[in-house]
Amino acid sequence: MNCEVCQLKELEVEQFEIREVLRCILHTIVFHRALGLVRPKDIDLELFDITYVQCGDVEVEKKIDEKIEQFINWVEKHPNKKSQICLSFYQEKNKQASWFTNKIERFYWEQWYINLHVAQHIKIHSAKTHPQKILVDPEENELEERSIRRTTLEASLREVLFQVIKFVNEKKDHVPAIPSPDCGVVIFPYEITIPSSSDSAFGMDMIKRMLQTGHPTMLS
Amino acid sequence: MASSHNTHSETAKVEQILTEFFPKTLQIILESRSPCISSRNFSGDQVLCSPSSSSSSSSSMRPRDKWFNLALRECSATLENIDLWRPSYHEPMVIDVILVQREFGLDSVNASPRKDLVRNLSLKDKHPFSLNSDKEEFGCQTKSEKVVERWMVHYESRKNRDTNSGCRRSSNSTAHTYKKTILLLRSLYAFVRLLPAYKVFQDISSSGQIHPFTLVHRVSSFVEPFTRREEAEMQRFVFTPVDTSCGRLCLSVLYRASLSDISSEPSTPMSPQVIPEYVGSPLTDPLKRFPTLPVSIAPSHGSPSSLQFSRRHSWSYDHFRPSPPSVSFSPSPTYSESHALVSNPAFCRLPPSSLPPQPAEMAMGHKDNVNYDEYYPSPVFSPSPSLSPPIGIPVRRLPNGLLQSESAPQSAPIAKLPHSPALSSKPNLSPSSPLKASGPGIPLPAGSAIRKSFSLGRDESRRISGWRVSSNNSPISRSSSRSFPDDLDDPEFPCPFDVDEDEMTDRGSRPESFDQKGNICEMLEPGGFFPIRKSQDAAVGALVRMLQKAPPLRQDFTDPAADLVRPSTPDSPSRNPQQGTQISKSLGSKGRYAASSSITTSGLFVPKTTADALEELQSYREMKNLLLRQAGKTPI
Repeated sequence: MNCEVCQLKELEVEQFEIREVLRCILHTIVFHRALGLVRPKDIDLELFDITYVQCGDVEVEKKIDEKIEQFINWVEKHPNKKSQICLSFYQEKNKQASWFTNKIERFYWEQWYINLHVAQHIKIHSAKTHPQKILVDPEENELEERSIRRTTLEASLREVLFQVIKFVNEKKDHVPAIPSPDCGVVIFPYEITIPSSSDSAFGMDMIKRMLQTGHPTMLS
Repeated sequence: MASSHNTHSETAKVEQILTEFFPKTLQIILESRSPCISSRNFSGDQVLCSPSSSSSSSSSMRPRDKWFNLALRECSATLENIDLWRPSYHEPMVIDVILVQREFGLDSVNASPRKDLVRNLSLKDKHPFSLNSDKEEFGCQTKSEKVVERWMVHYESRKNRDTNSGCRRSSNSTAHTYKKTILLLRSLYAFVRLLPAYKVFQDISSSGQIHPFTLVHRVSSFVEPFTRREEAEMQRFVFTPVDTSCGRLCLSVLYRASLSDISSEPSTPMSPQVIPEYVGSPLTDPLKRFPTLPVSIAPSHGSPSSLQFSRRHSWSYDHFRPSPPSVSFSPSPTYSESHALVSNPAFCRLPPSSLPPQPAEMAMGHKDNVNYDEYYPSPVFSPSPSLSPPIGIPVRRLPNGLLQSESAPQSAPIAKLPHSPALSSKPNLSPSSPLKASGPGIPLPAGSAIRKSFSLGRDESRRISGWRVSSNNSPISRSSSRSFPDDLDDPEFPCPFDVDEDEMTDRGSRPESFDQKGNICEMLEPGGFFPIRKSQDAAVGALVRMLQKAPPLRQDFTDPAADLVRPSTPDSPSRNPQQGTQISKSLGSKGRYAASSSITTSGLFVPKTTADALEELQSYREMKNLLLRQAGKTPI
């Protein structure tokens, strides 16, 4: 089965930014895969000057927030690490189930890798953006650095969102048929995998590893 | 045979998708660019509902919402009316988002050479599209306009080359196309929020401050080319085209990557001044500005009343559009209205005035009489022999509960129909004769007769005309309403062929909807029950007082009226709330008896009765006084 993979550009974030950044990216992806009847919801980020779209489904929102919390917990235990969150979409297919065996198989048709580099207190010592300033308060300097960093991250985040949109636009054939309006499901089945989270599927990790080594269909 | 039928219906479905795609795109873009259309003016939760419970909460989920599974917020008439000028999906749609900067003194490079073109463009740029500028534009002497985004939607048809092979593909290609358009619109929805212009839009719409800039938009079907320099400043994003069975749907945008020069400017409060002649301004002569537009649409202020009219008539207009032959193959209710315009040459030939009063026109009416005159001799006013005009009044205005007369079964479905453009395209409806009956071929004296028989205020006349629309529409509505439950649902195809019943519920909740009682009174004033009021106010006062004091006399008075009211339904109760119904029924029945005499006769007849009563009373009084005086004078 054709599984399209999108590796999103790595973002360098601080811990307190994780929540917003992940929400923004995950919801944007999910919105593009919620092909049932949705009433989109605009959300303005607090830290960044970015508006993203949610599909308006409460369950989705809950699931995403849960996963983000789990990820943040993980990050606290593993600081200064590059990490990856995977959002996968799959279809469940009954493979001639026999008695007593769960033969429902998941066919992954799309995976999104969100790459984060969580750094604590990044200090840019060499930043001399305003050389004309002679006397700079160190605190002020730090604030300035922060704002520069923030602006950079905002731009990168925007880029990632563009990347999502481009991917969605370019790859449409692999997306399964729209769920019937009667079943009330607005989104394709999906799962969010965070590093070594307890509930991560073993198969997922395998696939992830395989894909990572291969670097398949990456966006230029 | 069967396969060719399938092919046709597939084609029709694709056409329908294409037709719906254009307004949806426009709505998505303008919702995030045009401050007055924006959904940001609503609180997020206000209309938020679970998508699954769509049909029950009809007020928040409208038929069009279901298209592309993307429920946008209640859009203003602006967007709904896009169909009015859009001839077909074969024509491209260009949406320019223009940043207007107010300057004092200096005109920017862009502004002056552009103005003429803009004015020409504005023929497509009918009022709702520039509505958003109304509020903002009266701010300065000069301004500079800069196109910050240009969205282009067009459909490339590959008709000539491989029609036969291309159009006859497997049936699931339609579903495939639909899915792809959904995806395209999803990404468009997210994309518009990432462009720099969105920031400007947010600034404008969020703060209460007056900014030195605003965003306006222009919708047209052709491109005014950019200069090379302008183009160099812009970036292009091309959405991946969606292949359909017969062509491909393209969407692209040219946008300015940076608007920092604008947004960084401090926003200063400004004293309001008036630009007398601004593009799209309602102050400019609407008739001159729309010389070639088939539908004469004029700018208007976005007053609540005009909006109301637009909503109301956007659907009734639909009923007047003859559907193209191909519709008969389409199981979809929302079949292209614009397509209808193109594919039916007879309709294309209609003069501007021959279209039913449109929102804009209705709104225009209050600006000057000319506009009203322009549209009055439309099919709308043509007498439909089977129906008396006034019957439309109660049908439109009164809740179902009040309609206990013989007209009730007819009027109930009618009342449900307004605003649902979907109905216009019911396959069963398309070939039906009522459509043709109301066409341009019908003599039009009644409209003018009505106009002249009352010296109505313009507002009143507008209303009357509006009602007449509905009454004339009713044969159509009836036929369509009967047919639609049968083929409403097409389980095989996920397009929203559903028609919501929101209209009834909607109207009640809509803030601008008229108070029914008030309406009845207003409506009755000109030709109705108490016509004396205007000419002999004092007499009426006296009459009322007398009536109150003299029960037997009142009995006498109401009896003839009741007779009028109930020619065929003696069991109809005559309680107060029903007065309107009865009255209208009386008008209606009279109209039916004297088909063409219409309101005029009934208007004269009823007042005569009351006037007579008054006169009689007064004469009796005089006689009594005389007798008393004589009795006092002459000693016996």
